[in-house]
Amino acid sequence: MKKSVWTRLLLAGLLTTVAALSLAGCGSDKETLHIYSWADNFDPDVLKDFEKQYDVKVTYDNYANNEDLLAKIKAGGSGYDLIQPSDYMVKTMIDLDLLEPIDMNNIPNFENISETFKNPEFDPGNQYSIIYTSGVTGIAYNKKYVKEDIKSWDDLWNPAYEGKVLLLDDNREMIGMALKKQGKSNSTTDEAEIKGAEEELKTLLPNVLAFDTDNIKQKMIQEEGWIATVWSGDASFIAKDNPDVAYVVPQEGATIFSDNYAIPKGSKNKELAEKFMNYMMDPEVSAKNYEFIGYSNPNTKAMDFHTEEYRSDTMINLTDEELGRTEWLKDVGEALQTYDRSWNELKSGR
Amino acid sequence: MKKANHPLLGIHYVLMMVFIYLPILMIVIFSFNNTRLSGNWEGFTLDWYVSLFSNRYVMEALGNSLTVALVSTVVSTVLGTLAALSIRKWSRKGRAGLNGLLYLPVIIPDIIMGLSLLVLFSQMKIDPGKMTIIIAHITFSLSYVYVVVSARLANMGRQLEEAALDLGASRWQTFRHVTLPQISPGIIAGALIAFTLSLDDFMISFFVAGPSSTTLPIYIYGQVKRGVSPEINALCTLLIIVSVILILLAQYVLNRGRGQKKHKMLPM
Repeated sequence: MKKSVWTRLLLAGLLTTVAALSLAGCGSDKETLHIYSWADNFDPDVLKDFEKQYDVKVTYDNYANNEDLLAKIKAGGSGYDLIQPSDYMVKTMIDLDLLEPIDMNNIPNFENISETFKNPEFDPGNQYSIIYTSGVTGIAYNKKYVKEDIKSWDDLWNPAYEGKVLLLDDNREMIGMALKKQGKSNSTTDEAEIKGAEEELKTLLPNVLAFDTDNIKQKMIQEEGWIATVWSGDASFIAKDNPDVAYVVPQEGATIFSDNYAIPKGSKNKELAEKFMNYMMDPEVSAKNYEFIGYSNPNTKAMDFHTEEYRSDTMINLTDEELGRTEWLKDVGEALQTYDRSWNELKSGR
Repeated sequence: MKKANHPLLGIHYVLMMVFIYLPILMIVIFSFNNTRLSGNWEGFTLDWYVSLFSNRYVMEALGNSLTVALVSTVVSTVLGTLAALSIRKWSRKGRAGLNGLLYLPVIIPDIIMGLSLLVLFSQMKIDPGKMTIIIAHITFSLSYVYVVVSARLANMGRQLEEAALDLGASRWQTFRHVTLPQISPGIIAGALIAFTLSLDDFMISFFVAGPSSTTLPIYIYGQVKRGVSPEINALCTLLIIVSVILILLAQYVLNRGRGQKKHKMLPM
């Protein structure tokens, strides 16, 4: 009796192994596009439509920040066909020769993209990247508590908001903000200017409730914080749950950022990746996708297909005048150490 | 004579328990919270569990996690048990050395293990994916299985096997009818531990993962940056429950027929 139990157990084990190995080993024979991007960055239905229309398979894995992405791609042989690095990471990856040039002949829909977002300074001529979405780090504030008309970064320093200001937990963003406030470039490499920004931020500390990138949305929605440095897309998200929250791009200017399509070197399905980008830039598809994810759509032709609610959202659709006041974060090279030092001193000084 | 505990010790005990279990309890509670924002309690709901199971990416991650855990458990259990059995026959000195080498992966920080495996795989031009995750998980699970099984073997002693051989049993018969039944609780416990570890591992999997091999922990990590949704709380709650059940099961199996000397893996 006992014998049969063991034999059966062994058999079961072997069968599981074989079954699982075969499951792990072979996928379907269909052409497969391997996407590596931020979580929830596409409408799942749009991906499904693409799979159906082109009879292909799409896989979608997530990373949590640009540095994780860089590590993965740098290690080589990652097997991904399409990635979505942010602006500065596109530049880094171009410099490290990690990106495949994009063949624009395969992407006729590129012409639908707004001129504002073509030919960005981190990738002149769109050789390696195409914009996916963008936003501006501005000020979100709750009108219930903040009665003043917010126009400037100065307003964060208002003593009336003691302990109610939320800041992003991000070195370059926050020092960049202080630099902007002082009328400097957010990517200065001048040590004295960086130091000056650090001193400026130190005087803001009594007002600061928290440095928190991950929960800043929740904290604004629940009114723990009254006023915060927030990405425009997140501001729109907050305002949907808490209509008292307004958003402004401060008059001194602000930092603009973007996520972009790019093809990593070593992609085995480069053409499929280009086909996918072209599909995503089709006006109707594009509208459907951005309605779902709720970020800014750089596709001018898609506006006709968007809902009134999306079109009238001033946090998603920033004006040219607002965008004109913005500046990209640039690679600061060696000066990054000065930024790091200032940032650490600032945060340990709390 | 009963020694009275100092009352402060009692308070310390309670505080310690709160410290350890409060965060876990919060996740479980908020997985039933009827609001998308995690801050306030707005009533009971099972919606998050429902939407969890209709989410294609969660289900894919779950499938990957289970595949990896099953395969790596079976392979590492067989290999780990064989290792424990063969090393037992070695001289004391050789055994000590090999023991040390096999224990090492238990102690090596995950991050180093992940990195070294990544370097190895990319040097060998092996495409990252489910297969590399499985290999990586076998690598560390092996040690745990070995540790548990060899402890069981050491407790067993040689007398029964020697008696069986004296009485005319072949080596295979001795193994099948004497050794294996004796160590089987150790093997099963080792397998359950391997399964749990594989299911929970983030760091090593993260390094060696490739396209369409996102496991549950990697998925959760990617999601958290976008703000913790209650779906994630629900997912974590399920993972906690599965892990606890498996560990309890391992503990139960390991203790079967052990009388006084009980292994304790959980404070229960």
